[in-house]
Amino acid sequence: MIFAFANQKGGVGKTTTAVTLADGLARMKKRTLLVDLDPQGHLALSFGLEKSPGLYRLVCLDEPLSSVVVPVRPNLDLVAGDKQTEKVKRQITLADFCETILSDILAGSAYDAVLLDLAPSLDVLHINGLIAADWVVIPTRLDALAVDGVKEILTTMAEISRNGHAYRGYSILPTFFDRTTRETLLQFEELTRVFGANVWPPVPQDTRVRETAAYGQTLWEYSPHSTSIAGFKDGRQRLGGYRQVLARVLEVLNA
Amino acid sequence: MPEDKKQRRSALDPAVADLLKGMQQKQSEAQLPRRERERISRERAKIQARRDQRATYDLPPSIREGLRLLAEELRLPASQLATLALARFLKEYHHGLVDLGKYKQPSRSPRYDWNLVFPDELIAAARRKKRD
Repeated sequence: MIFAFANQKGGVGKTTTAVTLADGLARMKKRTLLVDLDPQGHLALSFGLEKSPGLYRLVCLDEPLSSVVVPVRPNLDLVAGDKQTEKVKRQITLADFCETILSDILAGSAYDAVLLDLAPSLDVLHINGLIAADWVVIPTRLDALAVDGVKEILTTMAEISRNGHAYRGYSILPTFFDRTTRETLLQFEELTRVFGANVWPPVPQDTRVRETAAYGQTLWEYSPHSTSIAGFKDGRQRLGGYRQVLARVLEVLNA
Repeated sequence: MPEDKKQRRSALDPAVADLLKGMQQKQSEAQLPRRERERISRERAKIQARRDQRATYDLPPSIREGLRLLAEELRLPASQLATLALARFLKEYHHGLVDLGKYKQPSRSPRYDWNLVFPDELIAAARRKKRD
């Protein structure tokens, strides 16, 4: 099962979400692969590693998947990226059947879950990621510009679907969620009104998330009891947070 | 073919629905006059402070009824009578004054090793005074 994390708007939490959920799945004993499709190469940094041209070696040098993956945690492998990912885009553009190259490479891989971290752009690699995906997770801040990014991704997905690709579904994941502001409530109401059950429990705004990347650790390692993982306190229950989001991912995976 | 207009609105994720409800409630409270807001806030604080004191146990109806009647008769909160009864039981148990052995029977449940089986007269005694 391949999940793509996509939003054309930058800074909405795609990489953090991909890293946190990938490590969460790996901790649940799911064999997980994380693929960095962003030339910024931030996935490697998130695990305390140097950026490396894993995607370039995979696509341009035709090296097998098994030789380019880096084991980053138990049950979790990474195809890292760096600025050479830009060359991947150029090579893909020149190839035949250029939209399905990534899908072809990942087909039949032995992982329970593959998570693709897409760059905030609408280029050929982005389209490759969306075509390879079975399920698209769209992280978004609750502001008008980021929510517009959600509509853009859904429009692109609709075009891809019209060309014959069948998605199993998609989810919208509100991030940087600050439940005290009126603007958050208005955008959240609008999002749930339009997209209903496709809206997943939001991830609270949390300074710990920013600190995590600086230490090269995942949130489960650095701050497993933080609000962004455990959610908001509401009486005795907890609402939102990556723990609940992970449960939704597992539901999709086990469906 | 005419479009099917009886399409159901999709339900929300339960966590999303709870969060949205809470936020909407807070938003509507924010529109209330200051005094009303303060009253709601005091009530909420009171409920929150009590939260750790709440417990749920299965009790025979006769014990519950006996406690309720006594609380009514003494014009006391039933919770305080239950607190007194349990505090005295714990103290006496730790001083070796209560023998659970005579009530113990092996349990078939995977969760527990033992059940306490009480004689009818012990449970019925809870309401005896009222009947007398």
